[in-house]
Amino acid sequence: MVSSVLLLASIPVLLLGCGLAIGLRSNATRAAAAIVSQAVASLLVLLAVVPVLTSGQALEVLWPWPAPIDRIAFRVDGLGAFFLAWSLPMTLLGTVYAVGYLRPYFVAGRNGGPHFALLNMTSVAFVLIYSAQNALVFLLAWEIAAVAAWLLVIWDYRSQKIRFAGFNYLVSTHVGLFVLVAAFMLLHSKTGSMDFADFGVFLGGDPPSLGTIYLLLGLAFALKSAFFPFHTWLPRAHAAAPAHVSALMSGVIHKAGLFGFLRFCLLGPTPQEWLGWSVLVFGAASAGFGVLYTAVQRDLKRLLGYSSTENVGIAAMAFGVGLLGWSWHQPILVVLGFGGGLLHVLGHALFKCALFYAAGTIQRATHAVDLERLGGLARRLPRTAVFFALAGLSMAALPPLGGFLGEFLIYAGLLSGAAPSREADVVLVGAAAGLAFVGAVGALSVVRAFGLAFLGTPRDAGLANLQHTAHDAEYDGSWAMSLPMAAHTAAIVAIGVWPDLALMIVQPALDLFSRHGGSGVAAGASAAGAASAAGAAGAAAAATVDTLAAQLGPVTWACRALALSLAVVLALTWRRRALSRRSVTWGCGYTAATARMQYTGSSFSAQLSSLFRPVLPVMTREHLPSEPFPQHASHLATHHVDAVERRIYEVLGQGEEFVQDTSDRIPEQPRFAFAAGLIAVVVVALIALGEGL
Amino acid sequence: MDQVRAYLTSQLLGNLAALLVMPILVVGVIQRVKARWAGRKGPPLMQLGYDLWRLARKRSVLSTTTTAVFQLAPYVVLVTALGSACLVPLAGGPALASFRFDFVWFAYVWGLGRVALILGALDTGSAFEGMGASREATFSAILEPALFLAAGALSLASGERELSLLLVPQVAGGAALVVWAGALVALVIVVQVEAARMPIDDPTTHLELTMIHEVMVLDHSGRELAAVQWASAIKLYVGLSVLATLMHPRTPGLPGVALHLGLCLALAAALGLSESLIARLKLRTIPQYLVVALSAGAVALLAALAMAGRLGILR
Repeated sequence: MVSSVLLLASIPVLLLGCGLAIGLRSNATRAAAAIVSQAVASLLVLLAVVPVLTSGQALEVLWPWPAPIDRIAFRVDGLGAFFLAWSLPMTLLGTVYAVGYLRPYFVAGRNGGPHFALLNMTSVAFVLIYSAQNALVFLLAWEIAAVAAWLLVIWDYRSQKIRFAGFNYLVSTHVGLFVLVAAFMLLHSKTGSMDFADFGVFLGGDPPSLGTIYLLLGLAFALKSAFFPFHTWLPRAHAAAPAHVSALMSGVIHKAGLFGFLRFCLLGPTPQEWLGWSVLVFGAASAGFGVLYTAVQRDLKRLLGYSSTENVGIAAMAFGVGLLGWSWHQPILVVLGFGGGLLHVLGHALFKCALFYAAGTIQRATHAVDLERLGGLARRLPRTAVFFALAGLSMAALPPLGGFLGEFLIYAGLLSGAAPSREADVVLVGAAAGLAFVGAVGALSVVRAFGLAFLGTPRDAGLANLQHTAHDAEYDGSWAMSLPMAAHTAAIVAIGVWPDLALMIVQPALDLFSRHGGSGVAAGASAAGAASAAGAAGAAAAATVDTLAAQLGPVTWACRALALSLAVVLALTWRRRALSRRSVTWGCGYTAATARMQYTGSSFSAQLSSLFRPVLPVMTREHLPSEPFPQHASHLATHHVDAVERRIYEVLGQGEEFVQDTSDRIPEQPRFAFAAGLIAVVVVALIALGEGL
Repeated sequence: MDQVRAYLTSQLLGNLAALLVMPILVVGVIQRVKARWAGRKGPPLMQLGYDLWRLARKRSVLSTTTTAVFQLAPYVVLVTALGSACLVPLAGGPALASFRFDFVWFAYVWGLGRVALILGALDTGSAFEGMGASREATFSAILEPALFLAAGALSLASGERELSLLLVPQVAGGAALVVWAGALVALVIVVQVEAARMPIDDPTTHLELTMIHEVMVLDHSGRELAAVQWASAIKLYVGLSVLATLMHPRTPGLPGVALHLGLCLALAAALGLSESLIARLKLRTIPQYLVVALSAGAVALLAALAMAGRLGILR
């Protein structure tokens, strides 16, 4: 009871901070109001969810409300507690970062009140989304988060580009909202209630409309979490928004989509196999396309944005494995899939925020985020370089950092050979190979981003002069900007060598899944007594702990050994550093090397992008020298555009021409191969339909 | 107590001794074979050992462009090479350590070493080293799935989840033979790329433009260069050891050790011979060569589908 009061008390605290942030007179006090209210609210929420995390007992409140709603239920179970445990503290860190990041605007006299108030509203939305059991409240909070994110993105609203990016996001997120509303309307029409518990009873009966409802919900949540091919708004929004807003959107806000998906998985019946396979394939597509686009971006923030699409894809692959295990009644796959997915979600939130904060620091110090121009920043921003390197290695899922263990569990699930048929096992191993590809290209993207931005020398002469040095120290050393990065990075390292820290908050959520997907299902279905069901649930929970510990134990020790050896190496090298002689880089016999000759972002990924040209279209703007003595200055610019977005605009903008072109392309005299192909497609489709019906 | 003693004698001592001696010997054998083929006498078999000792006592020269990353990278590469060596049977018997799905850890530890080497190369600001770094990153991206396909196929076929166990050949029947052969082809190509050997990369080339691995370490000197060279020798031996484990049945005792070490040396000699006979592939055709590894891995996996018998279900 106390916990529920604490949880709901966080909302008025946040709203009070919101009001103060708007009402107070100076930016310093507005920031202080937001930070203090968020800190208090985070503390209240943590106090409320700690009992849930330790005991696994859900926290429930019923709030009477006038008609037509009747009552609003709030319920924080293990899943909600997992998301609540880090969402609010991370938003708080983002607000702290905003104080440093927005300082140039504040110096120029801009009012930061609404911005801080919106950050508070984002926290309010988190409390509601992760605890509300009522569809109306859920939709309201969903909309608060979406609109707040939109207004936060267009902080620099004077720029046309940024307004466009914001509008693009607003439209996309509302398309998602309408789909979500449609799903809830369908559920309401069937149950006559807005309560999730009633939805659960209805869905649990495995109704015929289950597929439609899951499709609508999946679409809405995929748009929220920016899955491929619904990601088109994301790179624009992330490039346009202030760094802390990009960080919070990518790391924290979009996780609400995954939460919604998991919530409805728990409400539904034992999933059928197709659901698991669809989620797995959908996630794999998202991870694959996301990582290819990550590898070729020039803009550091766009790059990080695409990497979110990749990472939600990896998480979805994990959840797909978990769902398959659930439908096959294989508790081990449930534990590995959902456990790996949740760990990955947490790891992604941690490293992605740190990376966006580092990108923001780069932007403040150099006024550039273009990898073709940056270079040598490790000298100018040494602290940021360390944070970026650690967070980046975690993004590449390399041991011994936090990102590795989640992926290790996902691999363990894919390679476990626990599927009921050899065919399914083979497909899962194929998915593991796909994940390996994603991992290797992800590593390429990270070394490209870190190596080109922080190492070498600046590729743009304008960035090379060191008159900014005092200016740099201001950002690299500013506590408001480095504290959030330091906190996130420390958490990544800590989870890497001490995964129990992360498992503490993952465990209760995982227990819910293993209770549904493991022995609990059988106990519930056979209408056993409540006591025996509870006993089975307890046994399932204990089994989860054992399985996870058994899976993670040895690899954790391996990670610790690796971390220790690396620390020893670091200490030894550091001591010897002063002894070395200095000279210039070996130019392979060429003595007039310049900084412009270094490999750039485009050249680093040129070979990879040429291998995947069909999915990675390049837009080239060029004016090449033509005569022996060119009269005009020439230029060449290449840019990787988003294939999906370009296609959408093509279809929308030139609908008539598109139809015309397509119909023109169909030959009047169909060639034999074309006809045969068409017939084959139709036959296969008919067989598939017949199989299904 | 007896178990501890048995562990010490068989597992620890054997593997450690192999780890110390064999990488150097393997490189010596390759050099000796190439020299003999070219009509020269060739350096002593343990030449790499002398080279490492000489380099380790030298003071290093660092480029003024570089940061701490450059100096740290070789040691990270060395640590990862040693870390991966722990999981592979180096002397025919069991590996130093093994746990479930350690091949995932193996692949990712190699990935960490690769990332360190690439970052060290980018830190010099040299166009040539950036070129090598880009190639290394691209090729490994295509190759990584091949490693997982091969390991996954072997794992499904054998029901084992530890690298040192799933490599042990169990050839019974046609499908199992296809799994084994496919995995072997895929792993041979993986080793060729990871150890930067001939059809992919020429370790003795003199033209920086065509290098992959060697160009990334152009600027290292002294102790750091020694670390890189030792690490690549260890990686080469680990790779050969993986292949050798896949090629002989596990035999207990000294005959097993002799079989394994002899097979490794024979593989090294074969490598030296092939490097004397064939030329490096054109850089543009390397991705196609890597697709061979992918296809071989896929064939192995599909053959695992056809294998009759018990499923290796994890408990």
